[in-house]
Amino acid sequence: MFESAICQIIFYVFAALAALCAIGIVAFRNPVASAMNMALSFGFTAAILFGMGAQFMGIVQLIVYAGAILVLFLFVVMMLDVKAEERFCKLPLFIGLVVASVFAGIVTYVSLNLPGAGSFSCPMATLCENIDALAVTDTPAATACVQAPAGYGGSLPALDSTAANLAANPGMTPECAAKATGYPDVKLLGKTLFTQYNIAFVILSFALFAGTVGAVALARKIRKD
Amino acid sequence: MMDAILNWCDNLLENDIWFYLITTVIKLVLMFAVILAFVVLSVWIERRVAGWIQDRPGPNRAGIPLTLFKRYGSKEKQPLKNVLHYFGIPETCWIAKLCTWLKLDRDIPTFGLMQPCLDGGKLFLKQENTPSYVRKIYFIIAPMLVLGPPMVAAAVVPFASSASTCWGDINMVVANIGIGPLWIFAISGLSVYGITMAGWSSNSKFPFLGGLRATAQLISYEVAMGLSIIPLLMMFGTLNMQDIVSNQAANGWTLLPLWGEGLSLQRWVMMVPMALSFIIFVTCVFAEANRTPFDMAECETDLVGGYHTEYSSMKFASFFMGEYAAMVIGSALVVTLFLGGWSIGFGADEALHAWCDWVAVICQFLMFIIKLLAFIFFFVWVRWTLPRFRWDQVMKLGWLVFLELAVANIFLTAAVLYFIK
Repeated sequence: MFESAICQIIFYVFAALAALCAIGIVAFRNPVASAMNMALSFGFTAAILFGMGAQFMGIVQLIVYAGAILVLFLFVVMMLDVKAEERFCKLPLFIGLVVASVFAGIVTYVSLNLPGAGSFSCPMATLCENIDALAVTDTPAATACVQAPAGYGGSLPALDSTAANLAANPGMTPECAAKATGYPDVKLLGKTLFTQYNIAFVILSFALFAGTVGAVALARKIRKD
Repeated sequence: MMDAILNWCDNLLENDIWFYLITTVIKLVLMFAVILAFVVLSVWIERRVAGWIQDRPGPNRAGIPLTLFKRYGSKEKQPLKNVLHYFGIPETCWIAKLCTWLKLDRDIPTFGLMQPCLDGGKLFLKQENTPSYVRKIYFIIAPMLVLGPPMVAAAVVPFASSASTCWGDINMVVANIGIGPLWIFAISGLSVYGITMAGWSSNSKFPFLGGLRATAQLISYEVAMGLSIIPLLMMFGTLNMQDIVSNQAANGWTLLPLWGEGLSLQRWVMMVPMALSFIIFVTCVFAEANRTPFDMAECETDLVGGYHTEYSSMKFASFFMGEYAAMVIGSALVVTLFLGGWSIGFGADEALHAWCDWVAVICQFLMFIIKLLAFIFFFVWVRWTLPRFRWDQVMKLGWLVFLELAVANIFLTAAVLYFIK
């Protein structure tokens, strides 16, 4: 009860802040202010992930986006000393309105169909509660439940923390696994990524590698001597 | 009355959530106090060791002058003489001579430890001068962004093992999360924003160049730093800092596998990749903390003062403190990952735990402090031994040497783990 309340508070506070900062990115005319807003927005998104117990995803969000990519953005913006935008886009207003409303429609549709949307609770808290409630009485039912509600992605990893800890650490005793705090999300994620989605993962790595090689080839100056 | 209060406390602590909150706040305050004390202490260590290495005394005088006490009430002109007289010790005796040699007749000796405090006071009282051409908001936020992150990053460093009380176990780490080293990388990586913004918002040439240099350097070395500890994580199989240290306490430190499972052939062969990752990691920590030989961002021979040229008074002091805080956190991370963290070693941890939990915790805390001090000394030693690199050398070392070595090291570790059982 207490945990799910905290979960909800964290979700709503940080979601609101992240949305505000996201608006700030486009609203500010000064490119550095936009970049700083983007950093804040990434930070709040990471906080939401932390609140859901997905610590690894949250920290990766911070390291990769806030720590590396955005710093590079800032670097370029500052180095070129980009002045505040003065020219406004000449596109007619209604095109912008159409694009914006299409995106708003998609977001609204998705968020209304998330589990727990009817009771105004954050999706992750509801999912955890459902599974924990089922896990006590009926393990197969809980496993079936984590196949996720219809129309909502694929199957999710089991969220029964004792079983998950046991599965991730074969040497662990059941008592120890029950005591272990939280879900071993790093191990679960690694296992899922390197078994179930291994081919997609390797293909993606090759795509990124090709991109890097291409960037180096384009940026390199060919010497004539 | 007393019973009622004790009962109330007992009831409060029996509640899991309150117990967790109260112990966490205590640990948090302790951690902050230690970090801030170490920032001051490392400034003093820096100057004393610098003096020692360069064959000069360094700040060894600044003490608490006894004239202060004379001014505030004490009419005695020579307190030492009176004290000696009180105990009936003659003034020619060796005790008196020793006291005179220690300058006890003039001030309370602190061996120069008052110097950093006085420096802090001086910087606090100086006039603040903000140039008219700076970008105000970013100019003010920047020092905060440099000082803040290292303090937050310290939350995952374990400073002792766990102790059990009648209300539950206390784990001697502020935040026992499953992503320890990543948390430190992520949070201390944010301090690059502070430096970049300081350089950009100062709106003048040299700070700007310093900010650009700092950004490029920090990003380059973060990559090698992250890759260099992967072999270590492969060996321990966990990202939780407390688990990593407990493992080292039971089975030998990463760089000193002399007891437990550390005596196996695998661990001894693992010393090769571990030593390699230790060298890469320590060098990257130097670069991340912006210390000589990597202090390109504030290199005074070509950049005046670098990114903090336009800053004065306490804003400058924040940068200064941020640098030392980063150094302390870097040392703590190296000690935790490679040198056993709080572990006393040679099986002493288990023996002490079997005897008394709290004695073990206190001994481990002291051990951690000693290791931290030793590593800070090493930091300072390197600073006053090696000259500053050239900018292109720094970049070459990061991208062409360390990155490749770190990646090769991962494969080497995998081979050792696979082939040698």
